[in-house]
Amino acid sequence: MLHHNVKKAEAISFSEEVTCRHGGETLTACYQCGTCASSCPVARLDSRFNPREILKLALLGEKDEVLSGDAIWLCTSCFNCQERCPQNVEIAELIFALRNIAIEAGNSPNIYADFGGALIADGRIVAISKFVEKKREEFGLPPLKPVGVEDLNKILEATGFTKPEQKEASK
Amino acid sequence: MEQPKVGVFLSDCGKQLSEILDFDALTNFVKGVPNVALIARGSEFWRGKGLQTIVDAVKTGKINRVVVAESITKVSDVNIAQAVEDAGLNSYLVEVLDIKDHCAWPHRNAPKEATEKAKAMLLSAIERAKLLEPIEKLEFPALKSALVIGGGIGGMQTAVDLADLGFEVNLIEKQPFLGGLAARAGRFFPTDDCAICIQPPSSDVKTITHTSRKCVYRSGLSEIPNLNILTNASVVAVEGVPGNYKVTIEKKPRYVDADKCVACDKCVSVCPVEAPDEYNANLTNRKAIYINVPSVYPQIYTIDEDACKFKDCAKCVSACPTNAIDLDQKPEQVTYNVGSIIVATGFKEFDASAIKEYHYDNYPDVITNLELARMIDSFGPTGGAIVRPSDGKPAKKIVFVQCAGSRDRRYNPYCSGICCMISLKNASLIKEANPDAEVSICYIDIRTTGREHEYYYERARDMGIKFIKGRPTEIYADEEKGKLIVDVEDALLKRFLDLEADLVVLATAMVPPEGTAELAEILDIDLEADGFFKEYNAKLRPTETKQKGIFLCGGATFPKDAPTTSLHAHSAALKAAKFLNSGKIVKDLRTAIINDEYCGDCEFCPVMCPFGAITLEPTTENHFVARVNDLLCEGCGVCVGTCPLNAIELKNSTPNQMAAQIDALLSVNGTSKPLVLAICCQECGHTAVDSSGMAKMEYPANVRIIKVPCAGIVRVNQILEAFKAGAQGVMIVGCKTDGCHYEVGSEKAENKADSAKVLLKEYGIEPERLEMFKMVYIEGAQFAEAAQMMTERVAKLGTLKLMGDS
Ligand SMILES: Cc1cc2nc3c(=O)[nH]c(=O)nc-3n(C[C@H](O)[C@H](O)[C@H](O)COP(=O)(O)OP(=O)(O)OC[C@H]3O[C@@H](n4cnc5c(N)ncnc54)[C@H](O)[C@@H]3O)c2cc1C
Ligand code: SF4
Ligand code: SF4
Repeated sequence: MLHHNVKKAEAISFSEEVTCRHGGETLTACYQCGTCASSCPVARLDSRFNPREILKLALLGEKDEVLSGDAIWLCTSCFNCQERCPQNVEIAELIFALRNIAIEAGNSPNIYADFGGALIADGRIVAISKFVEKKREEFGLPPLKPVGVEDLNKILEATGFTKPEQKEASK
Repeated sequence: MEQPKVGVFLSDCGKQLSEILDFDALTNFVKGVPNVALIARGSEFWRGKGLQTIVDAVKTGKINRVVVAESITKVSDVNIAQAVEDAGLNSYLVEVLDIKDHCAWPHRNAPKEATEKAKAMLLSAIERAKLLEPIEKLEFPALKSALVIGGGIGGMQTAVDLADLGFEVNLIEKQPFLGGLAARAGRFFPTDDCAICIQPPSSDVKTITHTSRKCVYRSGLSEIPNLNILTNASVVAVEGVPGNYKVTIEKKPRYVDADKCVACDKCVSVCPVEAPDEYNANLTNRKAIYINVPSVYPQIYTIDEDACKFKDCAKCVSACPTNAIDLDQKPEQVTYNVGSIIVATGFKEFDASAIKEYHYDNYPDVITNLELARMIDSFGPTGGAIVRPSDGKPAKKIVFVQCAGSRDRRYNPYCSGICCMISLKNASLIKEANPDAEVSICYIDIRTTGREHEYYYERARDMGIKFIKGRPTEIYADEEKGKLIVDVEDALLKRFLDLEADLVVLATAMVPPEGTAELAEILDIDLEADGFFKEYNAKLRPTETKQKGIFLCGGATFPKDAPTTSLHAHSAALKAAKFLNSGKIVKDLRTAIINDEYCGDCEFCPVMCPFGAITLEPTTENHFVARVNDLLCEGCGVCVGTCPLNAIELKNSTPNQMAAQIDALLSVNGTSKPLVLAICCQECGHTAVDSSGMAKMEYPANVRIIKVPCAGIVRVNQILEAFKAGAQGVMIVGCKTDGCHYEVGSEKAENKADSAKVLLKEYGIEPERLEMFKMVYIEGAQFAEAAQMMTERVAKLGTLKLMGDS
């Protein structure tokens, strides 16, 4: 259940911050009907995530709660909600926008840092694990070779991927 | 024409204006203006002794043009015009200017500048008065008859009202029976009585009290001598003008002679063909020859063309004891001449199969509220039992789904307004008959905004109906359980519910019925973006259209409940009666005039005229020229502003008259500031100037006001000419786009301002010297601000240098 105080000035500024973002434009159209929540496969399984609730929190300006928790990282981007929302709220896109804001605020969960680290180090999001190698052997597949990351890293550096916070600050 | 002899009447409004303006200077100034035959000063001229002074001067022939400088021009205008007309001078030869609100008050702290501005205003009024032309009246007979399209409770009540008032009324209904939605809805909120009853005509000799209500079948509708009812009928063509329309109606055959049928039902018992019973939401079948329910109006059987085998069967023909059946009947066309037309075509339920996840088209147990209403009706196909259409078994668990297709940007973005109440009513009726039924309503918001409406919500809760705040995402079938499952989040509990249901009732959106767009085209009236008929003004004229003789009623303009439909019906009848009552139409001929010599072969004005008053007609040399219908022309001048060939003029707003006024307004400055011309529409623009003055808001006296009928009349070259005449800046002040009194005028003016800016640049004039503003009466402060802003802006730009200036 929701127990939040509406902090007016802040509320305006956070929802504005979101609607100014690419993907965040449709936030204020939400009228809390819950179609997205009941469409969402994650929300059924994990009570930490409910798309309707995330939008409500964002609308009420509960910035810290939205950005610091696990919720926004649990979305699988299946777009079920977005297909069905009667107000054409782009819910999945909104969650991307919220994630971007969170990362800029230094709030990315460890797993994303791990993904990023793996990409920089090995050129892969998922590191080659013993388990995978064993499975490949069982299937008669050749072992995975490391890929060259030099060129990739040039791109990652040039685009600011390696230092997301700095990228935002330099804007 | 006689030489103009202008009488100038200067009112000091009980000395308050002479404290600011130098009246002696004004009098001396006016004295020197050619053609001024009389100057009078007084306290007020719009009533009493002052007005008598004007009347006397007119009567003695001393003057033949009247200029009055007054304070409350909007009231005095009418009074003076009437008195002048009564005194024998055409009322259009009067010019009233507001030297208080447009001059003395806003510039009271700069009395010298104000006096100079007053001189310019007086000169402008005198120059205009000299060029004014008398305007005659158009008068022709109007038919005291009407056509009402649609025989629902709206159309029926309008028809009865008009018939009661003595008009000849033709009521046409495209279905074989009258009643519309009400005939199928059973019981109605907020009275909890039957839907299909109306107030009987006062001609009904047995109407005991004036509060009496009667079912349509016993209302005596058919016996009203001046009410002609046609079923199976629709309009195919309309010609003519308001007051005199010729309507062509196509009447589908009924195959049963109304004068012979005695409604004995013998035909039905012999008919071998069954067809789905549309009236009963296809929940059962009926025969090819049928009536909906025994109590319908008219109580005459009809044959379903698509189902009947005609000559291959014809069993009913021999069974009929009165020989009423005629299988050879053909469609007929009839024409009526009527003075006005009332559109009462209602609405229908949205086809919910568009919402794929609700499976309306493939789960028989997903139904709509109208279908449910047929089940609730004890005369209906189930005799009042609530069953699962899939197997006919009693429905114990019933789930309502609100906003099915309403408030949904994918289908209909609007709230249909009545479906919350319909579901509350139907849910309660189910609960009342079967207290054991489990009834739930899934809603986003519950809307119960009428008197007694909230009570339905209260009663429903009291009866144990469950309310779930959430819009279901999907309805699916659980084959094992043999139930439907409604998948919804209860947003208040943040809990996911899979509601089991025997029956799911969709509270569908309400949308315009088929044929609405075609009818709008035939009648030449507009539709809103939602597809319903457009009201001329939603706030003040909800039952009128842009066509003077065509009115709207009931659900045709938007989904409505019965109380609002009744209000609408009576309003439409009153409006139509007011329009036709005197049997004639009288109208001032302040209309647009085409100059045939210049006009030719373009289609701008016919398309642009907001009232459809202009048509193109062929000439003998195979050209086309525009023709203005004087009756339809509202005198806005949008056509004038549109014509690329300057081939149209509006009487008393001609380019010459306007140029003379502008020259005069800019002839005297008297301030150190650059002259700014504000071209204001006579509606919201000019009243915003009034209200700023009335509220004593200040702006500089270099801002000069000219009133035009509508901002849409302004032509690009006029703007250029204003600069040539000495304006350093030009403001165009019109209504808000959506509030324009002439529909498109303000928008057109804005487009023109934009193109004028491009031209100004070409001529080396800074485009910022021109600006369009849109405001309403209450925004006087905005006008004062805009005037100040334009003055400062233009001052910064320095003196305007025109090409050719040295
Ligand atoms: C399921 C349901 C339940 C309702 N319950 C309630 C209630 O409890 N209380 C309440 O106050 N209101 C209720 N309403 C609303 C109520 O039915 C309407 O307010 C009312 O019917 C409107 O009357 P109308 O005459 O404007 O339109 P309609 O009833 O729709 O009648 C319009 C008529 O015009 C005819 N027509 C359409 N197009 C043409 C054409 N081109 N040419 C000729 N004829 C044409 C139609 O066939 C129809 O007969 C309910 C509506 C529905 C759908
Ligand atoms: S479905 Fe759309 S409108 Fe409904 S709660 Fe989710 S985002 Fe808001
Ligand atoms: S009246 Fe109720 S059910 Fe109908 S659209 Fe509006 S909110 Fe939805």
